[in-house]
Amino acid sequence: MTLTIFHNFIRITFLILLQALIVSRMQVLDGFILPWIYIFGILMIPFETPKWAVLLIAFATGYIMDLFSGPMGMHMTACVVLGWLQPFVQKLLSPREGYDIVQRPTIQKMGLQWYLTYAGLLTFIHHFVLFFAETLRLTPFFYHIGHILFSSIATLLLMTIGQYLIFAQKGNE
Amino acid sequence: MKNIIELLKRHFVFVLFLFLFIFSLVVLFSSNRYQKTAFINQSNDWVGQLYDWRDQLQRYLRLREINDQLALENARLRAQMSENVFTIDTTVFSENDTLHLQRFSYRTAKIINATVNRESNYLTIDRGSIGGIHNNMGVIANGAVVGVVSSVSDHFAVVLPILNPKFQESVKMKGSGDFGLIAWPPGSDPAYADVKDIPKHVQVNIGDTVLTTGYGSHFPSDLFIGFVSELNDRPEETFHRIKIQLATDFRKLSHVQVVSDILKQQQDSLLNQQQIRDDANHLP
Repeated sequence: MTLTIFHNFIRITFLILLQALIVSRMQVLDGFILPWIYIFGILMIPFETPKWAVLLIAFATGYIMDLFSGPMGMHMTACVVLGWLQPFVQKLLSPREGYDIVQRPTIQKMGLQWYLTYAGLLTFIHHFVLFFAETLRLTPFFYHIGHILFSSIATLLLMTIGQYLIFAQKGNE
Repeated sequence: MKNIIELLKRHFVFVLFLFLFIFSLVVLFSSNRYQKTAFINQSNDWVGQLYDWRDQLQRYLRLREINDQLALENARLRAQMSENVFTIDTTVFSENDTLHLQRFSYRTAKIINATVNRESNYLTIDRGSIGGIHNNMGVIANGAVVGVVSSVSDHFAVVLPILNPKFQESVKMKGSGDFGLIAWPPGSDPAYADVKDIPKHVQVNIGDTVLTTGYGSHFPSDLFIGFVSELNDRPEETFHRIKIQLATDFRKLSHVQVVSDILKQQQDSLLNQQQIRDDANHLP
């Protein structure tokens, strides 16, 4: 239990640093594609974590991310929405027998299709709220929707590769 | 009462969510006003330190490019030195320079973090209040405008560059001297900005130079901002729609100078006195 909390804490810290120091600096197509991979830490919080804890962790993550970039409040808003919806999406996608055997929403435990639905949905919601909080407008519509969509896909792609790298050896944990 | 507590308990997570969400929105919509509060300040020393470490590494990798830039600037400065100029001596008496009071002083700083392609961009520099940086000081690079300092911690400062919709500065056309306002459309190309409020009767040509006015006391006057690259006038409007190419290349910026106006306090207090006097006269 303590070890799990410790693992999650280290993972979230590492991901925030990775995001702020390296990923945010990548200029793909002049910033048209901008992945926000730090939310991987929030998506990987184990199933049995109480909802209020998920919410508070997401809020803290967003706050620290805000310190690193742009106007204050953007990431806080997006992460609070993400942390609130995460348990709902898990419930929506729950298999018939429930989640009690497995502990973490990984590809190895839940399968690729489940994972892509789960992470894809939450990533898109997070990116949408984040982008909307930044600009407060949606015109020109197709440019902005494209920005959100392609950034989400980039985030999802990086997170999926990261899954295989991080959880590959300890799949039975 | 008991029922209310029961209700709150049952919907605890939702109440917590609402609280955090509203708090975040308040911070988002008033990020200017709260900048001075310590715990939501972007020029946080910890964050600055981290960016500084990363920057040291990157700076090392970019040494060649920075060397080239410095060499270019050296050459340009050398060309301006007095031995390269044939001077026509017209002075009769030599003047003791108590007549020329120094007004602006300059401090150098390195940029350690910068964004150029967001809706509102910021730069972080590695010099803060201990290094003599204060809010509202102007920031320039290679003799062209970069931005204005917007928040300061002990060792770092955050600069609001031209590439931020909150940046406001009056500009003038070289030659005619007519002045307008510079504005950057949020999220647009970091190489260009707009100049507004220049009336149609003023002749503006593509290639005209745009300079600072020096009214705001952030910058000395006649600093280079950019030159006119496009004119998109509309017949129904009374002002020009001018697009300028910025003199500063924000993507390649690494060293800047922070301008401090030594006489700013004098100028401001004089204006204040005048306003107080005006207000007093208008009282019934």
